[in-house]
Amino acid sequence: MFELLFKYPPDVFTRGAFMLLGSWPVWVLTALIVAAAIGLGWLLWSRRPGRPGALQLGRASILWLLQTALVALLLLLLWQPAMSVSTLKPQQNVVAVVIDDSSSMAVADANGTRKDAAIALLRGGLLDSLQKRFVVRLYRAGAEATRIDKLDQLTARQPATHLGESLKTVAADSATLPIGALILLSDGADNTGGIDRGTVAQLREHRLPVNTIGFGREQMDKDIELANADLPVRTLANSRMEALVTIRQHGFGGSHTRITVRDAGKTLASRDVVLRDAPSQTETVLLDAGHEGVRDLRISIDTLKGEESSANNQVTRVLYVDPGPRRVLYVEGEPRWEFKFIRRAVEDDKQLQLVSMLRTTQNKIYRQGVSSPEELQDGFPTKPEDLFAYQGLILGSVEAAYFSPAQQEMIRQFVDRRGGGLLFLGGRASLADGGYKQEPFDDLLPVILPSSKSTFVRNMVEADLTASGKDSLICRIEEDPDANADRWSRFPLLANYQDAGNVKPGAVELAQMDVPGHGKLPLLVTQNYGRGRTAVFATGGSWRWKMQQPVGDTSQQTVWRQMIRWLSADTPAQVVASVSQRLLEDDGHLQLRADVRDANYLPACNVDVEARIVAPDGSIETVPLKADNQHSGMYLADWNAPKDGSYIAEITATRPDQNLGRDVITFRREDGIAENFGRTQNRELLEKLAQATGGTYYKPSAARRLGNDISYSEAGISMRETKDLWNMPVVFLAILLLRAAEWLLRRKWGFV
Amino acid sequence: MRFRNVVLAALPTVLLFFFALHASVKSQQQEQAPRPFREYPGVEYENFPIPPDAGRQAEWVFARFMYRGIRYKNWTIDYPRSDRHFAEAVRRLTRVDARSVEQPVAAEDGDDIYNWPWLYAVEVGHWDLTDLEAAKLRDYLLRGGFFMCDDFHGSWEWEVFTASMKRVFPDRPIVDIPDNDPIFHTVYDLDDRYQVPGAQYLYTGRTYEKDGYEARWRGIYDDKGRLMVAICHNMDLGDSWEHADEPEYPEKYSALGFRIGVNYLVYAMTH
Repeated sequence: MFELLFKYPPDVFTRGAFMLLGSWPVWVLTALIVAAAIGLGWLLWSRRPGRPGALQLGRASILWLLQTALVALLLLLLWQPAMSVSTLKPQQNVVAVVIDDSSSMAVADANGTRKDAAIALLRGGLLDSLQKRFVVRLYRAGAEATRIDKLDQLTARQPATHLGESLKTVAADSATLPIGALILLSDGADNTGGIDRGTVAQLREHRLPVNTIGFGREQMDKDIELANADLPVRTLANSRMEALVTIRQHGFGGSHTRITVRDAGKTLASRDVVLRDAPSQTETVLLDAGHEGVRDLRISIDTLKGEESSANNQVTRVLYVDPGPRRVLYVEGEPRWEFKFIRRAVEDDKQLQLVSMLRTTQNKIYRQGVSSPEELQDGFPTKPEDLFAYQGLILGSVEAAYFSPAQQEMIRQFVDRRGGGLLFLGGRASLADGGYKQEPFDDLLPVILPSSKSTFVRNMVEADLTASGKDSLICRIEEDPDANADRWSRFPLLANYQDAGNVKPGAVELAQMDVPGHGKLPLLVTQNYGRGRTAVFATGGSWRWKMQQPVGDTSQQTVWRQMIRWLSADTPAQVVASVSQRLLEDDGHLQLRADVRDANYLPACNVDVEARIVAPDGSIETVPLKADNQHSGMYLADWNAPKDGSYIAEITATRPDQNLGRDVITFRREDGIAENFGRTQNRELLEKLAQATGGTYYKPSAARRLGNDISYSEAGISMRETKDLWNMPVVFLAILLLRAAEWLLRRKWGFV
Repeated sequence: MRFRNVVLAALPTVLLFFFALHASVKSQQQEQAPRPFREYPGVEYENFPIPPDAGRQAEWVFARFMYRGIRYKNWTIDYPRSDRHFAEAVRRLTRVDARSVEQPVAAEDGDDIYNWPWLYAVEVGHWDLTDLEAAKLRDYLLRGGFFMCDDFHGSWEWEVFTASMKRVFPDRPIVDIPDNDPIFHTVYDLDDRYQVPGAQYLYTGRTYEKDGYEARWRGIYDDKGRLMVAICHNMDLGDSWEHADEPEYPEKYSALGFRIGVNYLVYAMTH
């Protein structure tokens, strides 16, 4: 239809440049159009009301518009409008046709397998139409693209699909071949989870438009799939942790299922969920990390009656549980009950060591939890390496001026560079009353402190969770978020409160205080800062949660343990190990990385870094990591995991005279599993790929015109063509419509 | 017009609802709030002057336990002079934010006792706890409260004390606190302690009373090795605080009395 009216395909208009071929200047055209508009306007004005044959003003305006448009169009045609567009030279360009040959293409949809549908499309005329214009090269895509001569060579048995790698291979061919366009026939299933930016950038650099043709059903008739289970890289032993489970479903909206997390057959957590009428939903399952070590967690959802496939109902994830402990320094300016009850709350937690220094008198400091008589004997650390030995820092009711400017800057670096957690407590020498509304603390705080003093008040107030707080791991006492909020609302009142001001943009307010006469004030606010995190707990009165609740109630203990674990658990060590991908699907290639810092947490150079990798069968391989020239302190190694199963890599960093530390990272290789997931067409991926590279996404039914469409490309050997626009049918149609509209209106109004 | 009538009719109900809501929040806060400062006529003192800053709220308050005794108003011995002197000393010697006046606390006052995590009782050689008091005191200590008792002497008063204390903790032993326990080192190192006599020393010249010849620092520990109950037997720290401003009472006894009190208080606020 488009080409019938506009004579050319849409690509001519989207890729081409509009131009006027007439030799007269454009300003003459503009002047003539303006003159015609004025002239026509004057003619109609001369027939204004009160004169013979008068027209009403509204009607006159409509006629003036129609006449002016007609004159403007005719004048424009005199200037010879045209489109200038690049087109590929016939038979001088190569078109790469890449056909997905992974096993997901063997999935049978309504009209046979996806592979058969692709072959039928190519043989049904598409290949011929391409071969008339271009030299066609066929590729099949699996782990990478390989050339094939005939379509019969397609098997749909490749265990993995790496579309990005395949397209890179073809793009590399374009360096020596005049590849004008690329056509990808695929269901969009990709084992690496998508196409990376680097690949897209490479295709854009070669100006290679990727036109995609999608195969496979866009949704299953009845299926429920555990699309992803997201667990933290590492967690502290005996911590509460979250597994974010994404479920995709079709045809089961409103049904109930159960998410279960098991470790070696033992159920760690389970949760009933109601499937929503949405393509996907993410649910949170809370579980206890348990003791230290590496464990394979199997996450599954119950199979529902009538499901098309149950092979996609479970996944395995490997988890490293860090033994800890985390050391947290608590600086308190005066003896107070909050101090005692915080200490008691974490006393039994083997993963947390609360080291405290308390100013008991004008010149005495009482230390608790120190590991040696020398620790903190001179007060708050003055050297970065001493402060950076802790993973968390709590500032109680101690005025900001207690810290020297150098110590204040060190506290900033503790969070920013070292990646530690910093918690500010409320108190009579805290926050605004303690002089914290100054650099660097006002920058570190997740709130904008009030300008006034006397913000600490010894009146009892009620604490409530916000919507974010209901789900927060810090505040979680009950599993169910609503029950949790209800539990918080039944907490005893806090003994006192402090006005912490307003929550900064980007910070998260987890709990509030209901202060009569002041409304809601922030109680617990958190934010990420640099490599670390900061928080405010604007009271010194949560000790009542212990004293005013029955013996055996552990809610105060739970909140404080969770708070201090949040503060310190994710604080990085001097060596931080990571891998490019934690889940390897059918392909074992990965990159091991180590971010190595010295005792001051500055990037460490000239370090021997090696990974000791324990394979699933217990065999051990040592892999040296080399310094990355791009990033100081970063060390890399490419490695291939040969077998499926869970791997543990211990990365150590040493200097001849110094051990900088170690870290453990886990990853998992799974073979033959990936194709059970994402069995529907990933249209989103194919559309995004086409859009990012300047191509177009086609359904198979619309793909026959592709041969014509891809002629307009700037890749390969092209020439510029000028396409006249004056003889487009739509132009004549417009002239006819403008005249007919005026005539009909005049007839209606009786002016003919 | 009809809409206006509906609004006018509904207005009192809406106002009543919000008033009830407000009142319920208020009443919850009042119910949980600590009892305000109150004074009782004591055995020794009546109309003791109230400091001008008595109304100022503070972190720590000298909470005096109003137990049932075998003698009338036994709990008021030394009260309130001793309490206020000790509060003054705490202000002067430590960074503890102390209220200038004490708070008499009764187990019968609902959950009020749990608002005062440090509790002191005098003359416990004459107490006779009710079942409610024993149960409340046990709960209070297990939740994290700290109890210090003082000014009882000799074997007979010890028996009276333990009779009630056994009802608080039937299965927890009373033990001597070793010198290396943190309670003797929180602020002052108190390895060298001596018997602190009561005011009777001024006219008898004896540091002991009855057959309580030797001062004993005893306590009851919780399951995690923290002192919950600090028992000052055969000494009278209360008198050493009470008479600290009397020239006749030797300074060395008040000095040790305050130091022990300060150490016990800071221990209670840190352990």
